[in-house]
Amino acid sequence: MATEHRTTADDEGGEESELPLGVSVAAAAVAAAVLLPVLWLVKTGLEVGVDEAIALLTRPTTLEVFLNSAFLVALTTAACVLIGVPLAYLTVRTDLPFRRFWTIIVSLPLVIPSYVGAFAFVSAFGPQGSFQRLLAPIGVERIPEIYGLEGTVLILTLYTYPYVYITARAALKSMDTTLIDAARTLEHDRWETFRRVTVPQIRPAVAAGALLSGLYVLADFGTPSIMRYDVFTRVIFVEFGTFGRDTATLLSLQLVAVTLFILWLESRVRGEERTTAGGRSRAAVSLGAWRYPAMGFAALVAGLALVVPLAILLSWLGTASATVNQSLAFEWAYALNSVTVAAAAAAVAVVAGIPIAYLSARYDGLLPAAFERVSYVGYAVPGVVLGLALVFFGSQYATPIYQTLYLLVFAYVIRFLPQSVGSLRASFLSVDPALPEAARTLGQTSAGAFRYVTLPLVAPGLFGGAALVFLTTMKELPATLLLRPSGFTTLVTHIWTAYESGYFGQAAVPALVLLFVSGLSMLVILRQEGYDVK
Amino acid sequence: MNEQHGTPRTRRRFLQAAAAAGIVGVAGCNTPGDNGNGTETETEDGGSAGGESGPEQIGSGQSPFGSRELSGVPMSEMPDLEGELTLYSGRGEALVGELVGFIEDLYPNFTVRPQYNSAAELVNQIDIEGDNSPADVFYSVNAGALGALADMNRTQPLPQEVLDFVPQSFRSPDDSWIGTSGRARSVPYNTDTFSESDIPDSIMAFPETAEFEGELGWAPTYSSFQAFITAMRVLEGEDATREWLSGMQDLGVSQYGDEFQIARAVADGEISAGLTNHYYIQRVLARRGQSAPLSTAFTQNDAGAVFNVAGACVLDTAEDSTLAANFVRHLLSAEAQDYFARTTFEYPLVPEVEPIGRLPTIDELNPPEELNLSQLSDLETTIELLRETGVL
Repeated sequence: MATEHRTTADDEGGEESELPLGVSVAAAAVAAAVLLPVLWLVKTGLEVGVDEAIALLTRPTTLEVFLNSAFLVALTTAACVLIGVPLAYLTVRTDLPFRRFWTIIVSLPLVIPSYVGAFAFVSAFGPQGSFQRLLAPIGVERIPEIYGLEGTVLILTLYTYPYVYITARAALKSMDTTLIDAARTLEHDRWETFRRVTVPQIRPAVAAGALLSGLYVLADFGTPSIMRYDVFTRVIFVEFGTFGRDTATLLSLQLVAVTLFILWLESRVRGEERTTAGGRSRAAVSLGAWRYPAMGFAALVAGLALVVPLAILLSWLGTASATVNQSLAFEWAYALNSVTVAAAAAAVAVVAGIPIAYLSARYDGLLPAAFERVSYVGYAVPGVVLGLALVFFGSQYATPIYQTLYLLVFAYVIRFLPQSVGSLRASFLSVDPALPEAARTLGQTSAGAFRYVTLPLVAPGLFGGAALVFLTTMKELPATLLLRPSGFTTLVTHIWTAYESGYFGQAAVPALVLLFVSGLSMLVILRQEGYDVK
Repeated sequence: MNEQHGTPRTRRRFLQAAAAAGIVGVAGCNTPGDNGNGTETETEDGGSAGGESGPEQIGSGQSPFGSRELSGVPMSEMPDLEGELTLYSGRGEALVGELVGFIEDLYPNFTVRPQYNSAAELVNQIDIEGDNSPADVFYSVNAGALGALADMNRTQPLPQEVLDFVPQSFRSPDDSWIGTSGRARSVPYNTDTFSESDIPDSIMAFPETAEFEGELGWAPTYSSFQAFITAMRVLEGEDATREWLSGMQDLGVSQYGDEFQIARAVADGEISAGLTNHYYIQRVLARRGQSAPLSTAFTQNDAGAVFNVAGACVLDTAEDSTLAANFVRHLLSAEAQDYFARTTFEYPLVPEVEPIGRLPTIDELNPPEELNLSQLSDLETTIELLRETGVL
């Protein structure tokens, strides 16, 4: 049986004093840094005045976009779980043919920025799009509308389900399968076994993945705006557009409140966590005749998510004009810039994430939990709001690093910290605390035990988290636009420049390079899983 | 009517540099008399490759820039630029990056540090940065963003010799900003569905026009649209504007994210007419060829025909005000004005320089005379109205 190694088991009261001081201070410092932008939101929000704030927050349209956002987040998150968990199960626990191939293919949609996916789907399936033109000869005049809630859910699901997939996959891999054998010997059928044994064990991981998907959806502006669906971020955008910064920040505060609610909800769903002694592999579940529908399912999901944007990007490539404006010429330096800042952000995010993840995995109590929850706040604040908050802090209190790469990397770390924390936390949970304890009895200091025993064991989570941060940093646009040094162009800012002036052909090359580089880092994530097999 | 201030030497230098840099392709149209086929082979979206672009080369053997002589004051007659300048540009790099680079390259000791983003975000950024803003010049797509900075007292007055370049109506009454190129509100229509006479002369008549049922597109989150509604509020009053907005919604107007999308949708036949700035139509035509079923109509003397400007101001935080003002002056040079006309299909604002493409000259347009552009910075009331009517 998986054992619980919780220090809290009996003495709730003495908890705080047992927290290791150095690690706690480090975690507190990181949490404080994450809260900086929120301080600015509160400060600006307070300047609005109570009456106006109440009037704004109770306006019918505010309520409407609130409900729209809620529907979008709920539906997308549910869809991500319904797609991500079965795919993870199929690629980890069954004899699905070409498992290795499908493992990679169904993870790859994460490398495509959702706004690029949205453009591609609109060009392909919009009214008068490529798909309709293809059907025109056989008399199809109009195809079903892709815009609105359904389209937005479709796109966001296709590009965020990998969060659930990856976390669920990791949990399934490290799960102790002897339990399943036990259940089977107790005459449970396969479904019953899944429901009663597997689900409770992977629930925390699935909840963490769903949280990443849900919060991403909440903060995303590009996709809903392309898909013409009215959500919070669009109202915030309109307010910023009319220089109504106070109102926009007030709405952003409301968004933070919604985030806190979702975080609370997730902590309820997450359920009891166990540190496990690591999985024992067992023969895969045989799919029998279901192997073909199963492959069909994986092929359909990945095909939709990958083939449509790739086809559209390649067709744009064909239309790229050689005689276009020089400022749109692609330079390899853009790819180098993207990789540099993304790698720096990944490294810093992992280092900053270690104390928080370690505390929250090893210790119960208010403080470790609070640190962990706080690390999500920056992730759910829209990029433009976070960007402006850091413009404030950078220009007022950190002028030497304002409009330098340091501040840009800082922004990325605040924004994507939960991805590294989540991944690291899961790894710490899977390390049996008896091991570092053994090292200590053998004379190691606690730091030494961590360095020589724990760290090597959490290496997969460390690399996985780093790769995830790298990937999302490569795709980030709004904060990059606000905080980059003058003249610093990355792949996405170049795509943005080309796209917003309508030179789609010139957006194709950087987009394809972006997908390629991100795809490589995805391979890193999957390779590191090799450590998991014991 | 062309006053030929331009010295041939300067003009050649600019054209050579620009051609070498490759803006040739973007300058799709030639003189109005020419058939104006674009050399740009770019199509509007992936699926339409080859189908609708007319990549015919210009056959007459003339320079892709046409035989046009530059009018106005050339850069060679302007003060030299020297030092570093931080430019916050709300105009896209793809549209003005070439011009900025050209000015920078003209002077060996001059460096521009450009920061490109949307105009609204840059205004917010400048406001938040306060006294620590590194920005010297703000270059905006519309008068509203310039007015907003002027209202925050973040600009400094431009010198008279810069202001004199353009007529009074294209600059701020308090000298805080100046227009550098113009954009007219217009009605793109699909020529397979409508002819020019089908488009009403009055924007206020649109909701009552039965033929527009389900055929129109607008972009309510787009700043130029909001400026247009602001103009309607000023000219027709709040009640009439509210009624107009409701009428348009009853007509089943389709909503788009920006006006370029509208122009493309009209050319596609997805909708038959829309409300956009004039140059989006020209950009679609330049890429798809003049045979695309898309044409421009204007309303007369009302909010639908507002003539707004893109322009620039010098910020209060500018380190070297003279350098900043002289940079703005370069945007009013013969070369820059010609660049706007050819590359971005805007209206040059210096009176001697003519527009390009199948466009009426500025004098032939009938923008509402009683409207002052600085009245367009009050967006808040407009947003309130758009919210009330459920447009936003």
